Amino acid sequence: MRAVKETAVERALLLSTIVSGSITLIIFGFMLFMALPLLGGGKIFQIFVGSWSPGDGSYGILPMTVGTLAISFLSVTISFPMSIGCSSFIGVLGPKRSGRYLKRIVQMMTGIPTVIYGFVGIFLLVPIVRGLASGGSGMSVITAALMLSVLISPTMVLFFNDSFERVPASYLDAADGLGASNVQKLVYVVLPNAKKGIIIGLILAFGRALGDTLVALMIAGNSTQIPGSVFDSARALTAHIALVIAADYESLEFKSIFACGMVLYLFATAIVIGVRYFAFTDRETR
Amino acid sequence: MNNNHIENTKIRVTDLTFSYRGRRILNGMNENFEEFAVTAIVGPSGVGKSTLLMTLNRLWENIPRAQLSGRVEMKLGGRLMDIHDSSISPSHLRKLVGTVFQKPNPLPMSIFRNVAFPFKLSGEKDKKLIDRKVEEALRKAYLWDEVKDRLNHSAFALSGGQQQRLCIARSLVLEPEVLLLDEPTSSLDGKAAEVIEELILHLRERTTILAVSHYLDQVKRIADRVVRFSEEKEIM
Repeated sequence: MRAVKETAVERALLLSTIVSGSITLIIFGFMLFMALPLLGGGKIFQIFVGSWSPGDGSYGILPMTVGTLAISFLSVTISFPMSIGCSSFIGVLGPKRSGRYLKRIVQMMTGIPTVIYGFVGIFLLVPIVRGLASGGSGMSVITAALMLSVLISPTMVLFFNDSFERVPASYLDAADGLGASNVQKLVYVVLPNAKKGIIIGLILAFGRALGDTLVALMIAGNSTQIPGSVFDSARALTAHIALVIAADYESLEFKSIFACGMVLYLFATAIVIGVRYFAFTDRETR
Repeated sequence: MNNNHIENTKIRVTDLTFSYRGRRILNGMNENFEEFAVTAIVGPSGVGKSTLLMTLNRLWENIPRAQLSGRVEMKLGGRLMDIHDSSISPSHLRKLVGTVFQKPNPLPMSIFRNVAFPFKLSGEKDKKLIDRKVEEALRKAYLWDEVKDRLNHSAFALSGGQQQRLCIARSLVLEPEVLLLDEPTSSLDGKAAEVIEELILHLRERTTILAVSHYLDQVKRIADRVVRFSEEKEIM
């Protein structure tokens, strides 16, 4: 009886694995199918590396791909040192009580709706960037990246902090016993041993930045040109989807959002592979 | 207390009281620990033996909500100084007072880098000096012959007894004046424990050693003096 139950549970789990795995593949297949009118006739190359000019029959999404990567990379670059500093204060350098309170605040920040960050960006950040850039709308790659860096920081801080906490206490005891200061403990013991967790946190935060729609839509400016500098306006893939989704269902313009979806899907897959790679090697070395 | 006694004193503990989360673990302890001798600290679990060691290297300061009152003096530069004096930082003190924990705690790096780690902390860059001191420390810890051909191997590849001797070597590399050993053989087999005991006897010629131990046979073999902890602390 027990064997029958176990087999039933195993089969149910296998079925759910197949279903969830298939859904992911079906979604990709669906996007590919919907984008076919754009991709057919040897136009596949043009779609992914061409420019966006629907009036001239060009539906390339390269500017959006570059915009997405520029905003995401820049936001991670800005937020990484901030997050390492904050998690170091919470976990190692700061007084335990302050660290605890700060961690709670950071946890609270993860629950703030993205649209709030967008508002803050429009009313506080955009005028500052407009002043710095001496003109323009102030809606640019750097504006979106700055706001996104604030949005993704809590994810990074909490992930980094968790990986700091997983550093074995015996390592910290050894460093304490040898007279290491808190900064030395951080630099020589905590950070090297939390390295893999830090990389995973970085990849996940990058994924969060890639997938964000509202901040990019509200404050990146949505220009369909490849940005030449951080003060140029840009359109992210997610923002492009949000903007074009209202177009005629049968139009090629509308079909382009599925090509955007495919690129985002591939980015997300690369992120999952990256996280799994580092998580796996993390387990192996423990 | 006569002058001769003070001359031989390395550590003097006066009215030492230690509390943690409202529980009093050390209660007005008074004790002198002699220089260049092995003092064994014995007694049942939970009476504050390890806590006493933590008060001598100020590791107790890392424990949240711990409170300490009283005075701990240590002979540094020929005179007894309060170790909580503002002129002595915990980092500096812990370089003078080496600590070896109950379980070996090598760092996840090579054998060589483990022993050289204290030099990294002190900012020493002279590679020749570091090489020489690492070899000396490993020899003092009776480990050199066993590891000299694999200094770049991971410290985790060593046996438990070897790891503990590695930790002792790491504590010895900066030539501490005091060595605190918190049940250093409790996680080792008999043969590995014997080597550590021999090492302790050898080290007392140059170092003041305080060793917490649960094994009375071992205490008889290594200790010059025994401090017995019980509900009411007494000295054997």
